Amino acid sequence: MRFYLSYFKLRFITQLQYRKAALAGIATQFFFGLVYIMVYLAFYESSSNNGPMEVGQLVSYLWLNQAFFALIYMYYKDNEIFNMIKNGNIAYELLRPKKIYFMWFSKIIGQRLADVALRFLPVLIVAFILPYPYGLSLPSSFLSLIMFLITLTIGALLMTAIITLYHVLTLSTLNEKGITNIFMALADILSGGVIPIPFFPVFLQKIANVLPFRYICDLPFRLYSGNISVSDGLFQMLIQVIWFIILVLIGNVILKKILKKVVVQGG
Amino acid sequence: MKLYVKSLSMHLKSMLEYKASFIIAFLSQIMVFFSYYFIILSLFDKFDNIKGFTLYEVLLCFSIIQFGYAFCETFARGIDRFDRLIISGDFDRLLLRPKNIFIQVLSSDADFIKISRLIQALIIMIISLINLNISITPLKVITLFLMIISAIVIFFGIFLLAASYCFITIQGLEVRNLFTDGGKHMAQYPIGVFKKGFLLFFTFVIPYAFVNYYPLLYFIGKSNNVLYAFTPLIVFVYLIPCFLAFKLGMKKYQSVGS
Repeated sequence: MRFYLSYFKLRFITQLQYRKAALAGIATQFFFGLVYIMVYLAFYESSSNNGPMEVGQLVSYLWLNQAFFALIYMYYKDNEIFNMIKNGNIAYELLRPKKIYFMWFSKIIGQRLADVALRFLPVLIVAFILPYPYGLSLPSSFLSLIMFLITLTIGALLMTAIITLYHVLTLSTLNEKGITNIFMALADILSGGVIPIPFFPVFLQKIANVLPFRYICDLPFRLYSGNISVSDGLFQMLIQVIWFIILVLIGNVILKKILKKVVVQGG
Repeated sequence: MKLYVKSLSMHLKSMLEYKASFIIAFLSQIMVFFSYYFIILSLFDKFDNIKGFTLYEVLLCFSIIQFGYAFCETFARGIDRFDRLIISGDFDRLLLRPKNIFIQVLSSDADFIKISRLIQALIIMIISLINLNISITPLKVITLFLMIISAIVIFFGIFLLAASYCFITIQGLEVRNLFTDGGKHMAQYPIGVFKKGFLLFFTFVIPYAFVNYYPLLYFIGKSNNVLYAFTPLIVFVYLIPCFLAFKLGMKKYQSVGS
């Protein structure tokens, strides 16, 4: 455990170096946030019927989505890992007396957390200052803030488990494009990262609710604004933890199977 | 020009060498960009209009912008990825050749997988045109044609600007995404749905409004001002400073060495 923690810390610190890139990231996130909010508000203003979420809750959702973008975005490919698989350097990795799954896991989460650490605060601060209806509201209660923080953390772990899983799968497919891309696009939609799940057509809402992806961003962001109540949230948090454990187990089992017949590419 | 066509066919051939992976990537692109359309479709499932624009009007706007962007990503990828030429030093090699440098940059790369998005945009465009019930006049056909061309031109101009920026520094290049990806995202909706400040910025600084707002108003019959039909032509004027910026950058260019 200590080994993985220090590996995580190393990755975290390395990624913190990219501060200028983060600046551009902040600007982008901010711009996208504003554009999305204006689009949704325009829809709300021009329709007589109310949307499926309250405006304040929706705007908060959209800002949190932008601020914690790196924690919920499913399109993530670690090129170092992919290159390792393709050029055969994975052999060295396999020689180490450590579990490769957890090494990748800590590497990925370290990078993502550093990305978020560099970006989320400026976005949140500006979003708080913005006037109604563009601004981010305060959490609906102290308890919902706590629940938000806990579920966001577990959500980040869950996301990393999913991302690690398709990095593991690449070991046998040797192709990180194609099917992986389709999977990521679907996961991105079903997590509520593209558009909040209450806006989905009803049958898709049902599908999204039984899959693990919505626990990455839909759950924490709606908890924050009170769209999901704290008592409901507690139960859903339990499901979130179970999904996380299941996905880590699946990743480990598959990795074991693949490693039994692994062919190292190149030499 | 012959050189460009020739190198395009070379790029296509090299991509088709790996048929299976080309097809899979092609299909996955369609899936990935479906998520853009998904936002619009879901929102119109809950609401019936956005500032008076209906689903198919927005989709038309959307598909025209997507078409222009995908076109540039396919055929002007050399400019889109200009930073790579600079970083790797390959640009110096191009400068040594006795051919037009611009055509060379343009032919240095092409991405035919993005054609899937072109086709997708075309299909959506046709679907929305069928559903829109517009009385077709010759002028409206011209308007639509101008809109599509100007969508290509505007992204080409932005790619050029971003490429000229690479002459100064290759740091913070992600800002480019703000104007390409971000602008594209925004221009997918009729720009009139946004606040005044945005509308002004995207009329005069980056003229998206002339691509998909003013001509759209004329095309769908929201305005009878015939002048609006020709506003896409303004985008061509926008190309001039973009070209100049590139030329200027090239004059100042010092190799990165190695």
